[in-house]
Amino acid sequence: MSSDPIISVDRVTLQFGQFTALTDISLHIVAGERVALVGSSGAGKSTLIRLLNGTLEPTRGEVQAFGQKLHQLKPKHHRQIQRQIGTIYQQLHLVDNLRVIHNVNAGHLGHWSFLKALISLIVPLDVATATQALAQVGIPEKLYDRTDRLSGGQQQRVAIARVLVQNPMVILADEPISSLDRELSREVMEILCNCQSSRTLIVSLHDVDVALRYCDRMIGLRRGRILFDAPSTAVSSEMIADLYRL
Amino acid sequence: MSRPASRFISPSLQWGMIGLIAIALSLWQAGLFRQTVVNFNGFPLLWRFVAASVHPDLSYDLLATTLQASLVTLAYAVCGTFLSVTIGAIAGVFCSEVWWLEVLRAKRLRYFGFHSVRAILAFPRAIHELIWGLFFLNIWGLDPLVAVAAIAIPFGAITAKVFSEILDETPRQPLLALINSGVAPITAFFYTLLPQAFLNLLSYSFYRFECSIRSAAVLGIIGAGGLGYEILLSLQSLRYEQLWTFFYALLILNGGVDIASATLRNQLGCASRIDLNSHRPTKRNISNSRIFSLFPIAIAGVALSFWYIQPDLSKIGSPRSQQLLHQIVQTSLPPNFTGIAELIPLSVETVAMSVLAIAIAASGGLLLAFPAAQIFLLSGLLNRRGNANLFPLVLLVIARIVLLLCRAIPAPIWALVVLYVLFPGILPGAIGLGLHNLGILGRLFAEVIENLEQPPLKALSAGGTPNSLVFLYGVLPATMPRFLAYTLYRWEVCMRETVIVGLVGAGGLGRLLTEQLSSFDYQSLIVTLGAFLVLTFLVDWISGRVRRSLRAS
Ligand SMILES: Nc1ncnc2c1ncn2[C@@H]1O[C@H](COP(=O)(O)OP(=O)(O)OP(=O)(O)O)[C@@H](O)[C@H]1O
Ligand SMILES: [Mg+2]
Repeated sequence: MSSDPIISVDRVTLQFGQFTALTDISLHIVAGERVALVGSSGAGKSTLIRLLNGTLEPTRGEVQAFGQKLHQLKPKHHRQIQRQIGTIYQQLHLVDNLRVIHNVNAGHLGHWSFLKALISLIVPLDVATATQALAQVGIPEKLYDRTDRLSGGQQQRVAIARVLVQNPMVILADEPISSLDRELSREVMEILCNCQSSRTLIVSLHDVDVALRYCDRMIGLRRGRILFDAPSTAVSSEMIADLYRL
Repeated sequence: MSRPASRFISPSLQWGMIGLIAIALSLWQAGLFRQTVVNFNGFPLLWRFVAASVHPDLSYDLLATTLQASLVTLAYAVCGTFLSVTIGAIAGVFCSEVWWLEVLRAKRLRYFGFHSVRAILAFPRAIHELIWGLFFLNIWGLDPLVAVAAIAIPFGAITAKVFSEILDETPRQPLLALINSGVAPITAFFYTLLPQAFLNLLSYSFYRFECSIRSAAVLGIIGAGGLGYEILLSLQSLRYEQLWTFFYALLILNGGVDIASATLRNQLGCASRIDLNSHRPTKRNISNSRIFSLFPIAIAGVALSFWYIQPDLSKIGSPRSQQLLHQIVQTSLPPNFTGIAELIPLSVETVAMSVLAIAIAASGGLLLAFPAAQIFLLSGLLNRRGNANLFPLVLLVIARIVLLLCRAIPAPIWALVVLYVLFPGILPGAIGLGLHNLGILGRLFAEVIENLEQPPLKALSAGGTPNSLVFLYGVLPATMPRFLAYTLYRWEVCMRETVIVGLVGAGGLGRLLTEQLSSFDYQSLIVTLGAFLVLTFLVDWISGRVRRSLRAS
């Protein structure tokens, strides 16, 4: 049962107009796996992540999540699946001019009613959960600050807190530690990896050492193709050198 | 879209030449080189009018009348703005692309849905408030309701268009991020897009209020009461001392609203309307809670205004008005096309009038905008030596007062004044329109200048560049594109406003329209209105094209 893939991508090609961003990608990820996506800039990491959460549709091929074909679902079911997939975007996509608590609370919106969401915009609800999530990422004191007044790294942590509040089965994280220092990176990676052992994590990383340390599987992307897909222990320095070769 | 010519002539130069030719042709059309246009016999009268400006009638009775009329005008504007913003907010959501595409996810329906809503809204927008006013007058009779509805409908449609543009220009990624984490699209819309767009929407609403004040004054002229009405009465009975009292009241009202609106927008950190059309993120520096504290005040103001003017809301659905509306529809069908040959020269006149008006407005506005924007130049940029020179300050005050005077006084009133010394025709109409729009454009230009990015200018200035060159290399290139964009927008408005100077006989389709409306000749009216709509859409289209090609270059 647990070896059934929670996410599977089957021979997917994805094009933006004429440009092919992903070519013939196949991969299967089972529950509880911690997968690192590595590859140089423009390799297609962010594109793959947006494919996995249903933002992008494959030009060819098929994406399944929780055993369902993502792009053939009715909107309602599609949403239900998407609620179980939390994404931390590279560009964060926070609502800049709202206060931090609202951005963190956005993680609840999947199961809040419309009315509750509106009320919460005026009088923040569920402050306790939000505070706890912010404490986990180390900025509980920023609860009522405006998001655009935070530093880049603090905003990144707000985005992480939002996903923690959403509490999905799968977390997709696109370079979640790119603007954090070494110590904070370590903490954030630990939060992402250690909350629940059953949670699946797919994280794109620039830092191969971090990938090796925290993930049990690595997928190397190069120019939209999978160059290798192997357990971290089996990844050699030649493979890495090959990956970043110009 | 690049034509061979554009390799040698930049699009701006090309359009500039076309513009000059259009102005020359319009002047010809106005009869400038063909007949005498100046009526020298009118100068004594004009002088009497001007001289009265220094001794307005300040008797107690008149001041009481003035106060009451000002309150009426203000209340019309408040109610009109409230309704137009309400209409605009609802309709604006439904004609925004983001609503159809991302919230409803209607990929195929989108073209049908949002284009049809937009097309429907184009009609109320194209028809000037005054025409709406005359139309409602025929149904509801003299009632404050007429003024409020005449403002609310066209302004509601304009607001809807601008609101939808604001929504569409707001960054969409946070919305998509939430939708793709399984949040119901409508919730996501309210949670992300509205808070992001809120300040821009609010800022535009303030601007609409400024416009409503001017519009409320114009609507007075058709008998809706308020300052415009009093002004017309005194002008017709040649009581200039009274006239100036009303002018000054209008000045104070407009100036007050403009200042309040600018201050509020500054406080909110969305200093200028220009931000709506640029993608530059605005610096916001107010907490949301302070914005929300404005709402009770606004609601109280609206309630007070409705109470003050007491519009007879029962008239909206009353059997009598329904019957009249029914009658109008019946008598306007079938359309009477017999006068159609006459429409062609009138259309040419109308366009010529709008071109002349915008030419006057833009050149005058440009001249006055720089002295009027000196707050920023004074603050140590061009004035490097820091000597306390009073001259620019005096110039600034004068320029601002002239701009305020120009925009506060309705175009038809200007046209009537100009008619003292010019023979009737499209020229006085164009000048009247031009003067009024000069005040508006000049203020918008000044705002553009004041919101210039200062660091590049400071860098130039610090490098020892003479002031004149800072102006030439720093200020002009940075401001010109926006000036042009505003001028073109305003040209569209001028085109619609030719109707209101038509009211005082300035010619063009506007005169015919108002004549047909007041003589209940609906069968011909509908044809004229059709021609006017075509003309309006044509001008919008040309202006849009020019703006796009200028933006691309
Ligand atoms: N919406 C889009 N339209 C067109 N091309 C796109 C789009 N999104 C991404 N691309 C292209 O797809 C390729 C892969 O982009 P992607 O963002 O996935 O790279 P990445 O691996 O995340 O890079 P980085 O490490 O710099 O974030 C790039 O060449 C990019 O230009
Ligand atoms: Mg990326």
